[in-house]
Formats: sequence, structure tokens, C-alpha cells
Amino acid sequence: MLRIRRWVRITPAGAVVDGVPVRLEPTEDPLPVALYRPRVGGYPKFFKMDPLCRVGFLASELLLDGETSRFEPREDRAVVLFTQSGSFASDSHYERTIADAADYYPSPAVFVYTLANILTGEIAIRNKYYGETSCYLLDREDVETMVETVRETFLDGATHSVLGGWVDSPDSANFEAELFLVEESEEGAEWAADELRRIMKDK
Amino acid sequence: MESALEHELIVREGDNIVSPLGLDTTSTLRAVVAGESALRRYEGLWELPEPFVASLLDFGAIDRALAARYGEGRLADYTEFERMSILSAASALEESGIDPASPRTHFFLSTTKGNVALLESDNRYRREVLPDWSARRIAAFFGNPNPATVVSNACTSGLCAQIAAMRALRSGRCDHAVVIGADRQSRFIVSGFQSFKALSPEPCRPFDRRRTGLNLGEAAATIVYTRRRREEVSDGEWVACRGAIRNDANHISGPSRTGEGCYRALQAILRDIDPAELAVVNVHGTATLYNDEMESIALDRAGLSSVPVNGLKGYFGHTMGAAGVLESILTMHAVEAGLVPGTRGYAECGVSRALNLSSQPARTTRRLFVKMLSGFGGCNAAMLFKRGGGLC
Amino acid sequence: MNELVSELKNAIIEALNLEDVKPEDIDNDAPLFGDGLGLDSIDALELIVLMEKRYGIKLQDPAAGREIFRSINVMADYIAAHRTK
Repeated sequence: MLRIRRWVRITPAGAVVDGVPVRLEPTEDPLPVALYRPRVGGYPKFFKMDPLCRVGFLASELLLDGETSRFEPREDRAVVLFTQSGSFASDSHYERTIADAADYYPSPAVFVYTLANILTGEIAIRNKYYGETSCYLLDREDVETMVETVRETFLDGATHSVLGGWVDSPDSANFEAELFLVEESEEGAEWAADELRRIMKDK
Repeated sequence: MESALEHELIVREGDNIVSPLGLDTTSTLRAVVAGESALRRYEGLWELPEPFVASLLDFGAIDRALAARYGEGRLADYTEFERMSILSAASALEESGIDPASPRTHFFLSTTKGNVALLESDNRYRREVLPDWSARRIAAFFGNPNPATVVSNACTSGLCAQIAAMRALRSGRCDHAVVIGADRQSRFIVSGFQSFKALSPEPCRPFDRRRTGLNLGEAAATIVYTRRRREEVSDGEWVACRGAIRNDANHISGPSRTGEGCYRALQAILRDIDPAELAVVNVHGTATLYNDEMESIALDRAGLSSVPVNGLKGYFGHTMGAAGVLESILTMHAVEAGLVPGTRGYAECGVSRALNLSSQPARTTRRLFVKMLSGFGGCNAAMLFKRGGGLC
Repeated sequence: MNELVSELKNAIIEALNLEDVKPEDIDNDAPLFGDGLGLDSIDALELIVLMEKRYGIKLQDPAAGREIFRSINVMADYIAAHRTK
């Protein structure tokens, strides 16, 4: 049976790993940076990421923290992302770089993040995952489709593990990530819509 | 993927291409076979300071076709992106004969930027600018009760959406899948590719020594799949056999120098397939320096250097979210007609590995082909299509 | 020139989101690409935007950028000679 081996939730209220809140020293930094410094560090690409990638990347880091042979190249883990706002934060930012003819300087560094699947690439690059990366846009309420889509990802015979879940960040102040490590296992809660709803609960 | 429901196959039941070369598959294919291209040079369009070459739709023709089908004004509330998608889906659904309103039918929308042009007049967060909203509206237009799924995997979306549909059919979640691929061009997208110095100032030259970049294009294409028992699949019908998605794990915008993800995706679908059975490998072939070089390496590593290879971007540009659906459909119909279309714009090999590539069409009697795509985010996808009810 | 060099360093740090890099960390003669600052192809494109936006210098060919972005000093010399604003 597919089960949730580990899960992470990040919202502006804080980060939670398997139900246990992550304790942070008080800081002036916004939450993503406050999490990055003590829990990740040494990965300057983080500061180039857009709001969606920052929160999704952090959630993946907390999810994988402590995993043995973490950075060994592998093809058997897929990264499957669900989002509704997708790249909106970067779309809107990029639009501002081209809106005014007198101040027209289209930014390639912003434009590249106007694709929501860049987040799956960021996670694959960081962890050397050669497996499937997929990004789906759907409504937050449509939990059944998320559950089924992750289940169907295992129909690729090479996929034995899925790092997947919900990540949304329409702007830098509003963000939410619920990422799961889903695998065939004897342990953990069943990978099912009710369990996801329980973890995603209130926004 | 063949573990579940081995006695059933995923069969093409209908398709359509709405492109600047024609509003249906037949006329688009006819133009391609005749060597026509919809690539034109545009100066000052969308108040862009630099000229560009692109393949753009005639929305007058699209709206006339919609009015003929549904009456004047019926689609007045839909955006251009939604209208082109609806026109394409309507034709494909008609050919398929399936019931789009059935709860056993699912809609999949492949797009990279959907309604993003709406930000030009009002750059604020609202439902209408999100692609899942368009997908819902399109599915609802056909009376479908299910939530539609948007696949957003950059330029590989059109294959990824077909793979997602195959899986939903295989798992028994639905009996019919409608896969729409569509993208509209705009100031937003053209300026972005210009900032990446990725656009060619002339019609693109895939794999050619003088290639300088890609041309963008707009199109909508739809393929309808049904799951059917093997013995009910006739000899001439197209089956979506296998699909795989793999990542380069290298860089968010630059393709891997070893063609890693692309090679791995090919490996995953080819396994026991003899390359001599393949009519063609229809590649991404954007005509950027790095994409084409990467693909040549991946093809060589996968042992496909002697198989006929072609790229179609010289006819209608890089249609982004539509590309995987459009180019799969076009290749199905071409191979069915015994043809491998030539690679328009190609003259002299400009990649490091030898490929079996030509600007001229060739004859084929083979019954299998491979379609591949690569995109930003390091994603790569490949699919194997096959005619008839044989094992997949 | 020193003023331009220090202005340029700050502009690069801001444009490329080099959050944890300070101007004094950037060696005036060290290569900008490769190991030093860990810059990539998108950073190179973003530097082309910076050249145009700040100094009115249009670089059409990304290959020309590679020469000019060799080091801070090379960049500053080029800007001093070609700036239009």
C-alpha cells in the first residue's frame, strides 16, 4: 500500500515536519529566509528563486533532511507538484518589467520562473534526481485528483518513490506547501484524500 | 506502465489541429507535405521594440468557424486562448464520437502560459489568469462534470498531458480522455524569449550549421483517447504505447551536455524495440544551438543515429504547450499516409553526432514512431506510438 | 574609476540576487564566471540587461558578453568607454 513516509507543511504561521513544529530563533528575516539560514545554508541559488520555488524548495529540504545517501544520483524518485497560482507571482513580476515602453527591460532571470515546473527542476537539480518531474495546475480543493495522479505516477515502472504535494504562492507574503514522501510501505498513514485533507486543513 | 490492464490499449479515437496552416488536421498536414510554412516576420506587433519571426493564428477565421458551429456570439465571453482550444476540441470530439459530458470522460489541458496576456490590461491576481480556470471553462463548455487537469511542464507539456491521460485510462479512472494542447503568443512570451536571446531573426533551421534560434508559434491541437480491449483495435488504428518523463538534474534553463534526461526518457520507452521498426523519431528540434546539439547526443547514445529523424518547427514554429499534441497527431497522419515529412530549414548538419535527417520527405511502411520533447526546468519526455492491436 | 567599480559591484549583487556576497568579496580581476561567484548562463543574460538599463549599452550578441564579463575591471573599462548614460 502507498503510504506517507514523511510530510512537511509550511505556511506563514511556521513549518511543521510530521506534525512537529520546527523551532526557529527569533529573526527579522521573512520565514523562508529564516528557515533557509539554519536548516539549509550554503546554496546561494536559493536567493535567485521566486516565491513559489523558495517555499517548495524549503519544504523539500525539510522533507529530505537526514535521509541516508541523500545526494546520490537516482532515477527512481519522481517529483510531482500540484499548484493553483503556479507561476503567477513571477508572471506578474515579469509583466512589470515590460509594461512601460519607456522602462522596457525584460528580465531573463524573472522570465525563467514564469514556468511553474521550474520548482520540480530546482528539486531535481539539488538532489540529482533523474526521474520524472511533473507539475499540475488544479484547484486546492481537488485533493482526489492529487491522490490519484501521484498513485498513477507509479505506473512508470522506474518510479518507486514520489516526492510530491501542494505548493502555492501567489505573492511573497502568501505561501503554502504540503509536501509528502510517498512510497510503498508498511509504515505511515495511507496515501489517501482524507489524510491529505487532515494535513492541509485550514489555509 | 504495462502492468495494469494488460488486455487493454489506449487508442486514438479522434484528433484535430488548429494551426496557421489550417483549421483541421488534414489541411495542416497537406500544407506541411507541400513544404509550406506559416512563419512570417512581424515588426511593431504588440508594440515590441524588436521585430520577430513567428507563426500566428488568424482569429477571424477561428471565430467564423466557431460561429458556423455554435452561432454568432455564443463564445463572446471566452478568451482567444479558450476559443482556439474549444474549436480544436469540438472537431476532435466530433470525430471520436465519445460523450464529452460523461462522468467517465476526463479533460487534460496542456499549456505553458494560457491566458497570461490578460495581465497586460490588468496585472492583478484573479481566477481568470490561472490556467486551471480556463481548463474548467473549456471542460464545462462541453458539459463535462469532472475537474480538468492542467499539465504545466514547460515545452514538454504536450507529451506529459498525453502520458497523464494514458495513466488515468490505464488505472481505470476514466474511459475516455480529451487532451488539448494550446498556447497563444503575446508580448509577454515573445519579449521573454528575446531576453533569452533564443529567437531566430529568420525562419528557423533545425539541426543546421547556420541555426541561430527558434521561432514561436501558436496553435491548438486535441487528441481523444479511449481504452479498448486489444482484440477490438483494428490494424490501422493508432495506439499510445508508452511514455516516460525524465529530468536532466542539471540546470533550470540550459539543456544537459550529455542529453541525460532525454536519453533516459528514450531508454525507458525503447527497451525491447528494434530501432529498425521505427518510421521516424520526431524530435523537439527547436533550432536553438543547445537544444539540437543535446538531442543529437541523446539520440546517438540511445542507438538511434540510423533511424529517420525529423523536426517540424520550420512549418509552424515552436507552439509550446501545443507542440507535443500537434506534432504527435501530425506524425500519426503522415506515417499513416506512408510519409516522413522533411525538416524544413535544414540543409547542412550542424550538430556533433551524425543523424539521419533530411529537408525532403521520405516514404515509410513502418508502423511505430517516437515523439520527444525537452524544456525549461530540465524536463524531457518521450512517447512511443504504434499502429494496431499488438502488445505494447 | 574606483567609484564605477564599486557602483558596478553593488549593481551586480542586486541584479543577480547575490544575497550573501559583499562588494569586498568580489576580486576586481577574478573571473566573474566559473567558480568565483557561481554565475550561470541566466546571470550572463541578466548582466546584458544591466548594461543596457544602467549604462545604455546594447549588447546584441551574447558571445560578446563573455568577453566583457571577464572581470569587474574589464567590465568597468568597457562601460567607461561605451556608456551612453
